[in-house]
Amino acid sequence: MKNRRFLLVGSDFEPFCMALYGQGGIHIPKICADGGVRFAHPVEGELPDLSLIRTILPLKKYLFPPKDKVLSYSQDNGYQPVEYNSGKLLIFGVHPCDLAAISYLDKIFLNGEPDAFYLPRRKSLALIGVSCMPDKYCSCGDIASPMPADCDIFLYKIETGYMVSCESDEGSAILSPLSPFLHETDILPPESTRDNFSLNSVEKFPDDLSGVSSELQEMARSCLGCGACSICCPTCYCFDLLELPSLNGERAERFRIWDNCLYQSHAEVAGGYNFRKARTERFDYRYRHKYLGFGQLQGIMSCVGCGRCIANCPAGLDLRPLACKALKESSHAATSP
Amino acid sequence: MCDHTNKNIYLPYLATVEEIIDETPDVRTLRLVFQDEKVRDSFNFRAGQFCEYSAFGAGESTFCIASSPTRKGYIECCFRSVGRVTEALRRLEAGETMGVRGPYGNSFPIEDFFGKNLVFVAGGIALPPLRTLIWNCLDLRDKFGEITIVYGARTEADMVYKRELKEWQERNDVRLVKTVDPGGNGSEWDGKVGFVPTVLEETAPLADNTIAFVCGPPIMIKFTLPVLEKLGFSDGKVYTTLENRMKCGLGKCGRCNVGNVYVCKDGPVFTAEQVKRMPMEF
Repeated sequence: MKNRRFLLVGSDFEPFCMALYGQGGIHIPKICADGGVRFAHPVEGELPDLSLIRTILPLKKYLFPPKDKVLSYSQDNGYQPVEYNSGKLLIFGVHPCDLAAISYLDKIFLNGEPDAFYLPRRKSLALIGVSCMPDKYCSCGDIASPMPADCDIFLYKIETGYMVSCESDEGSAILSPLSPFLHETDILPPESTRDNFSLNSVEKFPDDLSGVSSELQEMARSCLGCGACSICCPTCYCFDLLELPSLNGERAERFRIWDNCLYQSHAEVAGGYNFRKARTERFDYRYRHKYLGFGQLQGIMSCVGCGRCIANCPAGLDLRPLACKALKESSHAATSP
Repeated sequence: MCDHTNKNIYLPYLATVEEIIDETPDVRTLRLVFQDEKVRDSFNFRAGQFCEYSAFGAGESTFCIASSPTRKGYIECCFRSVGRVTEALRRLEAGETMGVRGPYGNSFPIEDFFGKNLVFVAGGIALPPLRTLIWNCLDLRDKFGEITIVYGARTEADMVYKRELKEWQERNDVRLVKTVDPGGNGSEWDGKVGFVPTVLEETAPLADNTIAFVCGPPIMIKFTLPVLEKLGFSDGKVYTTLENRMKCGLGKCGRCNVGNVYVCKDGPVFTAEQVKRMPMEF
């Protein structure tokens, strides 16, 4: 069924979902008991709420958990590696921005020597994407992303239900038993937010931020340094390695934990010297990482426009105007004599 | 997605502390021997590279490999006890076990220096990152021209590798100029008194066919680079090695970036030309 498209009429959506749930572990976007929107297990008969705009945390929580044990140590056996063999998990209802973010994380953790903790988790995830309707915080249409919104199956919302696009062998295996609900079509997929991703010609952000330095300073002054933007960002992956010993000192465990470039401790070294002491420097660092990229990923914008950082910022900060202005300034500079 | 071996990059090799040398009251050298014979044979590094050193129950710290790649069978690290991990490493006794993973980062392109004069400029605890290269060059002495070492510390007691300083001083194929900050000299002090940049200017090594290496606290580097420029060294002929906060050593954790450069992967060895392009304040 790979590379074929099918129509799923609205009245078949519920039985389609129930049959899908029967295949094993599945998470859907839902409003949880505390009111938060998360990817989580559906309760008996619960349908995915595909109208929800954004979950609190993006999918990195599955691939790169906030606290991940990487080694254990005992006096008798020294350091022992931790191995992961996660069971299959299907995530149903992933928006294009979150899919694009996974493409970016893949570049970080799988290029070159693949990460031993990310790889098995990544292999165990099957992804069903869905087209969406952006809200005021989304920016997937404003600044285009070069990252592809790849997945196993993608659902385009259409008037009569969904157009189901099967995009991988894994997607094929998932959809085969569901074929009674699917009617093949050769109609092209409708326009959707997915079109904002995987673009070849992406505007390059200027490396020189002098044109926006006053705005950057101004925003940094309002920043509370809470780091919420980085925690909820689908492409933020800075981490720390932390070793926690048992009280008697006989055992220890080493964890990879999420870190945050807005925290004062991020670039602080033993002895107290801090490579990014001022909040403006940390703000500048975050901006550069999101829009300019580092190292091998230099020039690849990692902001996918999900809007989580804006929706969750207690100070109401929004990097988008800054990025747009920087782009505009550089195009001015390029065209002026 | 491609199928690869599932290698845990965080797993350290086990190493035995073979020898402990107290360089100053709070700076210590550990000589380490890998416990696995295969690792001992296969562990190759170049001058300038660094490792992540583990103290059980405390975590990891980043230091350069301070010994020379020409000295086989062991590696040495040198550190000041200032934090959780370094305090724990300091508690280790000879014969005890610790962890090491690496080597990481780039290195000094030593082959490019063959036939040239070398000037090493170091301050305080920043001698170890250059000491690996100094010994590497001294062990291949006939491949280089004149070798000058300018080393300064706050006080005589703060100087590391005192035995080796003496050895370099006595060798006639090395010119050692050592200095302490004003007030840091004891009654027996036989070196100069003054800050490193000033002493370097007085020493005035010829820039012609010469490569300079600078390593020290940011303030020393800041004032030394203009002196080298004044002496006629172009930025491409001046090397330094940077050390930022690092956690993974592999260009992933996002700690050590300066601008778009990963110090751990693209460095730690950079030319002054590269450093001047970085958005960083010395």
